[in-house]
Amino acid sequence: MLKLSSIEFSKLFHLISLRFSLIALILFPLLWAYAPGIFTVYGFFIVSGYQVPALSLLSSMEFLLPLIVAVASAELLGLELSHGTLPTILLRPVTRSQWLLAKILVAMLYPFALLAFLFLISLAAGVFYGYGAFAGGTGVGMGGLLGQGTLSAGAALVELGRAYIMAALSLVPISLLAILFTVIFMNAAGGALATLAVLISMKLLIVFPSLEPYLLTSQLNAYVSPIGNLNITVALIALYAAIFAACSVILFERKDF
Amino acid sequence: MTLAIETTDLSKRYGKKVVVNSVSFKVKPGEVYALVGPNGAGKTTVIRLVTGLAFPSSGKVSLLGLDPHEKPMVRRKLGAVVEAPAAFYPYLTGQENLQLHAKLAGDVSQERIQDVLEMMGLSEAKATKTGVYSLGMRQRLGVAAAMLTKPEVLILDEPASGMDPLSLHLVHTVLQEAAQEGAAVLLSTHHLDEVVAYCSSVGIMEEGRLIDEVDIAARRERYRAKVSDALKAQQILRGQDFIKQVGTRGDNVIFTLSHPYALSNVVGVLTTQGINVLGLGPDVFNLRAYYQDRLSTSKQDSSRQESAVA
Repeated sequence: MLKLSSIEFSKLFHLISLRFSLIALILFPLLWAYAPGIFTVYGFFIVSGYQVPALSLLSSMEFLLPLIVAVASAELLGLELSHGTLPTILLRPVTRSQWLLAKILVAMLYPFALLAFLFLISLAAGVFYGYGAFAGGTGVGMGGLLGQGTLSAGAALVELGRAYIMAALSLVPISLLAILFTVIFMNAAGGALATLAVLISMKLLIVFPSLEPYLLTSQLNAYVSPIGNLNITVALIALYAAIFAACSVILFERKDF
Repeated sequence: MTLAIETTDLSKRYGKKVVVNSVSFKVKPGEVYALVGPNGAGKTTVIRLVTGLAFPSSGKVSLLGLDPHEKPMVRRKLGAVVEAPAAFYPYLTGQENLQLHAKLAGDVSQERIQDVLEMMGLSEAKATKTGVYSLGMRQRLGVAAAMLTKPEVLILDEPASGMDPLSLHLVHTVLQEAAQEGAAVLLSTHHLDEVVAYCSSVGIMEEGRLIDEVDIAARRERYRAKVSDALKAQQILRGQDFIKQVGTRGDNVIFTLSHPYALSNVVGVLTTQGINVLGLGPDVFNLRAYYQDRLSTSKQDSSRQESAVA
């Protein structure tokens, strides 16, 4: 399984969407860090280098990161279909579920790798503002960007770390949903589009207040949720991920190639 | 002896469309079985069913006595090319693609990778990305990938499509040698003239059905003598101990010998009985003519049945 996963992980670097994603994730923090109209639009000034990663996360979790993750995961499987290599791989002595689970593992790790990259780039982009203690908030902790007094560098890093990990975790079900749809449609574009359609439709379901806490899209805000609610959020994310992964494996096992 | 490949009443339907209809055949180790038929006859689907890539709607498949769906590890002994042209990661070189296959297959040495590349005439192109390979080169790399593990069963879907004559010859030579070393080979092909030279059996498919099986190996042992009286020659030869089988076709008497050196005895016995032997030689089987004849007969049968139903 380790061998299979390492083979599948190496394929990640050949995804076309990865190159575009990396460019977007490099440009995004730079735009936020030095945007001239940020005070006019949002009514605050960036006062610390720690606020740039938070701003990058706040702005990209709404649409950009789910899009990037969905497209990359769909492409991860779709690439095998477009190259025609899927049957060739399945003729080797690996079971279908082993192979797909290796893909699923890579798809699960992808949001973490992506957000680690965004975090580092954002942190570097904020170098102009410095990394000392500052009066205000990171934007992902108590009190938002205005904060509750002075925040130490260590506390800011902890807040950001927690937010980025939760954000990556909440993107995992989206990644696996894209895999599931790609297995169903046997097409990368179909998989990515269906995932986005589901996310957009789910966002509309907030008109049903009793459903809202359990929606997949609601978990995308987990990185700014109070710590007390995290257990339920993590359990819901794990449940969604397990359902999508299990359905993908079951369907893939019975596919004709 | 365990059969290398066996299908029993194998059928595949997509919705209401029957793509493969009750196909049964057997391939023993060391045999080459060629599936021939027009495009859309169901050859590729049969190959995908046999390799375990597709699931049969009914019927059974076994590879070396095991169901490839239930026991996927049987694929350790399988080498296959199911795409025409063979598919590879275009961003990897020929050698890197084989290394990736070797990792998945396990127990394949670097020497073996170099050996198969050389065997398929790809040593010079091994460091070139497969994205720029020609159709024929990809096909040859496909055969190289299939041969990596020295498989006991080789299954190839049109392995020589898009190849130049030299590459075509190379692929058929490699398959023939693999069979001589004991591998069972199942291939689908349109190259009737090439496969008839070395295959053991030919299965003719049309509209999802296996309409005929021809034992080429048995036909290769046949001799033909053009004689003045074929029926009388048949009677004379029937009683001889060096004759295994005898029949007639027009002015010819067709026979198989119990020993190849007995051919001169045939001339002797016939001439002493007053039969003029006007020609003698191997009864070369014209697969192309037989195939065309078989397909047209099958079509006539189908239209007759349709008319009867109407």
